[in-house]
Amino acid sequence: MSKQNKTNYNKNMFRQYLLLVLPGFIIFTIGLIIPMFMAIRYSFTSWNGMTQDKPFVGLQNYISLMRDSEFIDAWWFTLRFTFFNTIIQNVLALLFAVALDRGIKAQKLYRTAFFIPCLISSVIVGFVWLRMFSNVLPAINDLFGTHINFLLFGDGSTVLSGLLIANNWQWMGYWMLIYLAGLQSIPAELYEAAKVDGAGAIRCFSNITLPMLAPAITICVVGITTGSLKVYDLLVSSTKGGPGRASTSIIFKTYSTAISGRKYGYGSAMSVTLVLVLLIVALVQVKGLKNKEVQA
Amino acid sequence: MAFNNKKDKDQISKQPYTMATLLVQLVMTIMAILFIIPIVIVINYSFKTKKELYLSNPLSLPQSFNLENYKKAFDKLNMVTTFTNTFLYTLLSVVILAVLCGTTAWAIARCKHKIFKFFYVYFIIGILIPYQALFLPIYIIGFKLHLTNTRFGIIFMYIATAISFGVFLMTSFMSTVPINLEEAARIDGCSIIRTYFSIVLPMLKPAMATLIIMQAFQIWNDYLLASLFVSKKQLKTLTVAIQSLFSAQSSDYSTAMAAIIISVLPIALLFISLQKYFIKGMTVGAVKG
Amino acid sequence: MKKKKIFSLLLVATMTSSMLSACSSNSPNTTDDSTVETTETSESTEVTTKSPDELVTLTVLAGQSSTDAGIEDMIDVALAEKYPNIKLNWECVDWGNDFQPKMQQYMQSGLPDIMIGKAQDIRTYAPQGILGEIDSTYTSRVLDAANQSAAYNDNVYGVVFNALYQGVYYNKDMFKENNWTIPKTLDELQVIIDDCNAKGIVPFASHMVDTWSIGNVTMQFAMNDVFNKEPTWGDKFRANEVSFSTSKEYQQAYQYNKLIFDNTFPDTFSTEQTDCDAKMVLGEAAMKVSGSWSIQNFLDINEDFDFGIFPFPNQTGDSKLIFEPNLTIMTSAASKNQDAINCVLDLLTGDKDLATEIYDYTRTASMLKDVTPTFINPSQEDIDKYASDGMIVDVTIGNNQLTWGGFQEENAKDIAAWLQGDITFEEALKCSDDRVAASIVN
Repeated sequence: MSKQNKTNYNKNMFRQYLLLVLPGFIIFTIGLIIPMFMAIRYSFTSWNGMTQDKPFVGLQNYISLMRDSEFIDAWWFTLRFTFFNTIIQNVLALLFAVALDRGIKAQKLYRTAFFIPCLISSVIVGFVWLRMFSNVLPAINDLFGTHINFLLFGDGSTVLSGLLIANNWQWMGYWMLIYLAGLQSIPAELYEAAKVDGAGAIRCFSNITLPMLAPAITICVVGITTGSLKVYDLLVSSTKGGPGRASTSIIFKTYSTAISGRKYGYGSAMSVTLVLVLLIVALVQVKGLKNKEVQA
Repeated sequence: MAFNNKKDKDQISKQPYTMATLLVQLVMTIMAILFIIPIVIVINYSFKTKKELYLSNPLSLPQSFNLENYKKAFDKLNMVTTFTNTFLYTLLSVVILAVLCGTTAWAIARCKHKIFKFFYVYFIIGILIPYQALFLPIYIIGFKLHLTNTRFGIIFMYIATAISFGVFLMTSFMSTVPINLEEAARIDGCSIIRTYFSIVLPMLKPAMATLIIMQAFQIWNDYLLASLFVSKKQLKTLTVAIQSLFSAQSSDYSTAMAAIIISVLPIALLFISLQKYFIKGMTVGAVKG
Repeated sequence: MKKKKIFSLLLVATMTSSMLSACSSNSPNTTDDSTVETTETSESTEVTTKSPDELVTLTVLAGQSSTDAGIEDMIDVALAEKYPNIKLNWECVDWGNDFQPKMQQYMQSGLPDIMIGKAQDIRTYAPQGILGEIDSTYTSRVLDAANQSAAYNDNVYGVVFNALYQGVYYNKDMFKENNWTIPKTLDELQVIIDDCNAKGIVPFASHMVDTWSIGNVTMQFAMNDVFNKEPTWGDKFRANEVSFSTSKEYQQAYQYNKLIFDNTFPDTFSTEQTDCDAKMVLGEAAMKVSGSWSIQNFLDINEDFDFGIFPFPNQTGDSKLIFEPNLTIMTSAASKNQDAINCVLDLLTGDKDLATEIYDYTRTASMLKDVTPTFINPSQEDIDKYASDGMIVDVTIGNNQLTWGGFQEENAKDIAAWLQGDITFEEALKCSDDRVAASIVN
């Protein structure tokens, strides 16, 4: 092939590759990227979401955000929810996966039991747990004459734990399956070799299981973190951000500010901060976890 | 490698059933029961009459096994329509998603041109954009393109919001697809696009299964986009219809409970009967073997 | 090589074009899908309600609470009989959560022909110039008081169809057994509360898990303690003449929440409305500050439950029963189907059987002249008494001055936080004051 031919050939290939990417690119740009930029534009206005004109106010919205204690509280709740969720859900999912992988009988049955909740929509999960905490579980108290406080959604100091229970109930099984698949793909020879070397169960776990699970861990950690930062559906039908504002997540706050509060520009500024945080968190996590993977 | 998965680990090494295993089994049994309780409660509630719901102990069994709530739920939810809608939106969205993500990811993985690096980052950023926070601009765009309150519109939006995750998943899976077959095909004079469909696509099946299953959940259960894009009675989805049963002021709980069971049952049965493929499909791509 | 290129191009082209075509073929379900052109609307000054000759489909956005869900089918049936050429394309959403967002969406794109909301929505949307005026043919069939609450700048922009009454619902049997009389002053109320507590009865049923209920009762209190003395309190608030931090009256209204909180179920922040109403019917609580929406629940649980209503006492002992115009039918100013819209208005205001059916179903009070619901409402006797004494006040006065979304709703969250001990009373008041810019639309 002459040089001329080769560049032609490459150009041709390039075009075909481009054609493959294009449809997805267009849909994605229209459906998500352009709205994103529209939101950024709105965040510099005092638009109420209804009128035709959208008065430009520069950075005013962002300056006000810094001093808005409700906004800061919403972030504080979201971060706590995310932090605990990521830890609890990962640890539980991994523990359950390891337990199921121990060769217990009727593994399928357990898998199904843990997995079914994630087939249910978050909106419904919130509703179910609202009933659980306010009606069903207190009835257990009556039955056994105990005094356990089950009214978790009814108090600002316990509402977070209530939501964590509901969210973990819903999603734990999902991540567990991913860990389980990861565990089952670890070659048994590795363990046998380790056993020959006289390694105990704990050493096996930290030296073989964990490193071999690294890709699964990356997926689970990133998935849970970003998912928790975006929590909204769960709140709609359970606490509605309350009591007071004790469980108002950042998306919930954005929604009530932009829609009921008719401060669309201000609400857009809130959502822009969320995008920034998600970006940073994901970058840091992927980088950190990828490094671990490489070392392993 | 993805293909090693065929030999299940249980077959490789039968672990002996020791006391420790028994203990684990016991603990897991308790946990499984705890996990199932809320579902049992919902089922129990779904047979109670409105009066029983308020007056009887939440843990007590219904007086009679009446299906009244189910009938009511069926009517109130406009079940046949909402179910067909949800099914249609889910199915079409995931199929188109799988095709688009496959082609996009493959092009990104194979073409070394700089612009494809950019494409990759461009798509990945989408994972971090919470579309939940962008509903008004999404709606405005949707309206201008005549997408609101159409079946096509909601499917378009499901694809747009899920494509970045799909591309991410598929691109990472591409490294396990052997490149030599493709090169052979190309030397034989196959075009890029034909190579993709005849050689690459079949090998992407595991990852596609993962993508389809993961997204099918999301879309089946989606509330926000559906409530934004299709609120006309004949276009509504199940989740949106159910949510309207929970609304403030005298929620119709007994009907809502039956509606929950109706909406979860088909997908749960599907899961239980296809569990093996489901789990394999869901995880193969995610764990990269 | 060339062929393949063409093939690939075709492939992508079909992929994209199939999407685009699907888009265009599916789209026209929106407001402008008029199948008939109406030309003679503006020529004659008197509006005639005439049935269109061809099929017209009107879009309807209905903001409902779940007690209202189902009335759309009744309207459809009646419409098919009287105006078979008009079809309604319903979009029913929850008023509290989804009506405003939907309206916001439609303001970007064009309103539905008919919108059903609450009277207070008129204050939100009429200033935007998007609502159509209602012809006097139809408003003349509605009670004058109701028309007033649907007016903006002296024009009526909505047909108020029914109303809710708000106040303290009480268990009549319990009041009789304990020889309690209807309290007019706070001291008299306190006597009942003390007696309840002494006898182990919970004085008030409440469900504070629903923040809207806190906001709702706070406005009830404010109507009798603030707006009855200062009918333009909200305007003065924006003019910086009064504030929550300095208004003893409004502080009192906030404090009544505390009175209820101290005398209700300990788990009120976990009690939902249905459970709360059930407890009330079962005689676990004596009173409930609520509205007509509870009636449906009460009677569902026990059809023989005997209850009455009285206004929550205020400091001056002259408090009035609260009246809230509920379902309000608004029309789009820009609709091309004004004739068909008028037919629907004619049906809703003129068909007494339909109206009665809806009132009986939703257990609400009629706002149409000469139409009375036939369901037995044990509290009707009390309502009639207050009505004949002129002791009824329209809550729209307060709701128009201090808007619900973004203001009352947010204040209610502060009150909840204060009751929970997360913030102090002064902080709650200050939060309300800081929100002054959000207290009205525009």
